[in-house]
Amino acid sequence: MTVGVRLDEAAWGLLHQAMDLYQHDGRAVGRLRRQVARLEQPLRIAVAGPWRAGKSTVLNALMGEEVAPVEGADGVFTWYEDGTSPRATAYPVGQPPQELTVVKSATGMRVDLGWRVGEVRDIVVRWPTRALRQVTLIDTPALAAVDEQGHAPVLDRVLRDSDAVLFLTRDGRDSDLRVLESARDSVVGQAAPVNVIMVLSRADEVGGGRIDGLLTARQLARRQHRDPRVGALAVNVVACSGAIGLAGRMLSESDFAALATLAGASRVELEAHLLSADRFVRGELPVHLDAEVRAGLLDRFGLFGIRLATTLVRGGFDTRVTLSAELIRRSGLTELRESMTRCFVDRRDTLKARSALAAVEALVRAEPVRGADGLVGAIEQILAGAHEFRELRLLVALRNARLGFDAELAAEARRLVGGDGVGLAARLGVEHEATVQRLWEVAADAQWRWRDRAEDPLLPLAQRRGAEVVVRSCEGMLAELAAGGR
Amino acid sequence: MAGIWLDVLDEIARTCTTHGRGDLLQTVRQKRAQLLDPKLRVLVVGEPNQGKSQLINAIINAPACPVGDGRTTVLPTVVQHAEAAAAAVVQAPPASGRPMGTAGTPAATLVERTPLALDQVAAGVSGAVGRQPGGGPAYVEVGLPRAMLAAGLVLVDTPGTDQVAALGGAAEVAASTRADAVLLVSDSTRELSVAELDMLLHVTRSQPNVVVVQSKTDLVADWRAVAERNRQHLADAGVAAPLIPVSATLRLRAAATDDRGLNAESGFPALIARLQRDLTGKADHLARASVQAVARTVVEQLAAPLRAELATQDAEEQSGPISRLHAAQREVDELRRCSTRWQNTLADEMADLLSDIEYDLRDRTRQILRAVDEAFDTADPLVAWDTFAEWLERSLVEAAEANHEWLIQRCDWVARRVAANFDRYGYDVLPPWSMTMPADLGDRLPDLERPRIDRFTTGQKLFTGMKGSYGGMLMFGLATTLAGMPMINPVSVGIGALFGGKSIRDEGKQLLRRRQATVKTAIQRHVDEFFVRMVRDCRDAARQVQRMLRDHFTGLTEELQEAIVQSFRSAKQEADTDVALREQRQREIRLKMTRLAALYEQSQQLTGARSTPVLLEPRA
Repeated sequence: MTVGVRLDEAAWGLLHQAMDLYQHDGRAVGRLRRQVARLEQPLRIAVAGPWRAGKSTVLNALMGEEVAPVEGADGVFTWYEDGTSPRATAYPVGQPPQELTVVKSATGMRVDLGWRVGEVRDIVVRWPTRALRQVTLIDTPALAAVDEQGHAPVLDRVLRDSDAVLFLTRDGRDSDLRVLESARDSVVGQAAPVNVIMVLSRADEVGGGRIDGLLTARQLARRQHRDPRVGALAVNVVACSGAIGLAGRMLSESDFAALATLAGASRVELEAHLLSADRFVRGELPVHLDAEVRAGLLDRFGLFGIRLATTLVRGGFDTRVTLSAELIRRSGLTELRESMTRCFVDRRDTLKARSALAAVEALVRAEPVRGADGLVGAIEQILAGAHEFRELRLLVALRNARLGFDAELAAEARRLVGGDGVGLAARLGVEHEATVQRLWEVAADAQWRWRDRAEDPLLPLAQRRGAEVVVRSCEGMLAELAAGGR
Repeated sequence: MAGIWLDVLDEIARTCTTHGRGDLLQTVRQKRAQLLDPKLRVLVVGEPNQGKSQLINAIINAPACPVGDGRTTVLPTVVQHAEAAAAAVVQAPPASGRPMGTAGTPAATLVERTPLALDQVAAGVSGAVGRQPGGGPAYVEVGLPRAMLAAGLVLVDTPGTDQVAALGGAAEVAASTRADAVLLVSDSTRELSVAELDMLLHVTRSQPNVVVVQSKTDLVADWRAVAERNRQHLADAGVAAPLIPVSATLRLRAAATDDRGLNAESGFPALIARLQRDLTGKADHLARASVQAVARTVVEQLAAPLRAELATQDAEEQSGPISRLHAAQREVDELRRCSTRWQNTLADEMADLLSDIEYDLRDRTRQILRAVDEAFDTADPLVAWDTFAEWLERSLVEAAEANHEWLIQRCDWVARRVAANFDRYGYDVLPPWSMTMPADLGDRLPDLERPRIDRFTTGQKLFTGMKGSYGGMLMFGLATTLAGMPMINPVSVGIGALFGGKSIRDEGKQLLRRRQATVKTAIQRHVDEFFVRMVRDCRDAARQVQRMLRDHFTGLTEELQEAIVQSFRSAKQEADTDVALREQRQREIRLKMTRLAALYEQSQQLTGARSTPVLLEPRA
């Protein structure tokens, strides 16, 4: 939406400029070439987080199948790409790639890592699934705490290799935030923290497994997002229980039958048995359910999941499909996917361009050469002019009602900055076949109205700032129309 | 029983005083008061959202601490006995350097208490009400009428953190040193994290009585496996803390339904038994363990500076008086070397100088002689003598002066060369002397006496002419007689005159040559004489200079030596005293160390078990 050069074109130009500058350095050129190639590839989204934050569970929930983790592959980056048939390839350091055997199971797949761990740094899994059409998901090793020099090596690689990050944390505690903050010392990182969604994973454990735990988790996420410290690090905060989401997505008829049986028991009686996991597995249930079935349910749903599911079945979600949908909705997985679509997939060009800028900046920092200052200048210029990043932030702020616009205004602002689609007609909210004349009128009208708002001294600063971004978007549309584009 | 550990504690306090460590003394006193206090302060720590507050609630079966989903506990909460339920925010005045009162008897004058309504406890604990902005660290006090609390149990809830540094928050009330027991809460959904193990290691250093509570066992089925792995982690990390798995949910439920079986299932009876044992045994085994820990900390802290001092003493040997002594020694040696060096320099330079000067003079005189030879090859001494004598005189004086000038320069240079050997002593060591050109140089020249020169006198000429003409006239006279002419005829006379003239010319040339040779010889002699005299003069001068330089520099060397030896002597004296002092100090340190070791031993005997020995002796 930038008038003149678009962000991705600017990034492409910058990469080639850098390639000219580093033409004598074979390694640097190789890196830049890969970066150029990435502009054409699917968006890379890494799932990162500290130890036991539920990375693989969230990944499975997103894919809807039990694919991750690759057994025994600690400290390895696992790339999940779209492919026609399931295949897994390990890339050991300094040795040719090695095909791994993939065993398809009822709920997903299992990969045999016939390799001594430690030598392998990457495993690429090709898996035919719809979720991977547009994105490549990356399962990453646990992030260690920040070291003395203030660096987190794993996170550095995550940010280098991916365009966007789902940062998983149990509760957004200080040490986790500090890890994320450590990666923000670059110009690009500071200018546009639009590539991180913070996920309060394991939301089901909030409140010790109370039935309303997921709701409170969602409230916590909103509260976190309002925290300026978090706001500077992540574009959105979402509470999501990977376990419940995955259970919902993979809810089988037998699971449903078991849950329905449980729900058939009287509530008070069942409650006593759902007090603890031990009681559920070993106790004498009022209804007949095999011990293995119980253990399986507990394994997949957790105690909280079983409580939630039985309550839901009683509350009317009494078919497999409706229960599954409700579980997914409640788990926050829907919200997470929605957020990923809006913030990441819809804006993939922006994010990929951002990665390119970051890569060039990292290269210039690591190996400064004559004329590199020009590159840094170019990066800063592109960042300063990149309206896309500001739109993205405003969009998230609008969605979380942070600015205090009333619903109608917020909806309009969201539409104008591309929240409902990035085409001109979608932004202006007019019919598809509208004439240029009509588009111009609507855009000009919107621009004037929002300019008034941006200059209204009675409004709070945050609202005026937001209005300014909307005005800028309108101006961009008008310029585009003036240039004859649609 | 209390007496023994109290004695040891007092002994520790005395040791602190003798070592002048007021800070440690403060700690020990505080510990003493705390140990004498019959209450059992239990500190509950852990990462956020592990169920710390819920654990406290479950222990006393009352909702004393607010439980929430996000970060609920911001201020430490002290739960203790009260006749009627009450709560208050207690805040120390800002920037208070003084410690608060000991446990159980808060110094009411120092702190500010804001009573809280019971329904406001949650707000108080989250730091929302009752706290003055800009005030010091605050905490919330909750009083409840419970039998367990009445027995003397005090539970302290802390804000969760995974940072060792932030453990317990800012308030002193939540410091692990002030607690009698520490419960680290970690939930069953995962194993102990690295941060938690770090925290444990940190706490166990000052607090021997640590229990790991694995909470939320109701949530997961495999909590037993987690507990097993956690115990393994504890063993691997060397933390001697028992692990008790509990479920607060089950306990509270059991209390609500009065279900003994459920209560047993919750795991709390074990925890409560442990706390009660600590409470009753506080004055005995707990106190002893505490004293042992205190002794350990104090002895380590006291020994550390002593050890460091011993270590630095070795280093000081390199820099202290001993090193000054070594430096002085080096100075003495250096001076000795220097004195040989300058003497050699002087002798060598003077020998060089003499031969150079002599050669120079000889060169100059030879040039004069060559000029003389050339001049008298043609010139007639009779005519040119006066001009020549004047020139010779001038040339010789010039040569003498130039030579002398050079001598002076060379002498000066030699003096500098020698003086350069004294450069490192840093002062101007050139002799206060300067050679000047003697004014009477010209007078010292030998007088050139005019050589005796044969003149070709008229009589001689006549005689020579006669002698030459006689032969010719006779020869041609005889020939002409044959022609009938008389003996004396015009022809023979003419021929005779011709012969006479030739003889005179020849004689004249011979005489000139002889004269020239005579003059050359005379001049050579003169110049030789001049040379010899000049050389002798130069030698004298040079020798004089040499002697003077030698005297000067010898004097200087002696002066320097005296100074250096003096400093050497004082350095040696200093070093000796220093060694004595150091040895004395070392003895003192060792004595102190031994006393500390004894103290430590004494504290160890309080409990039968020995913990790892403290490293008292300096490492080899």
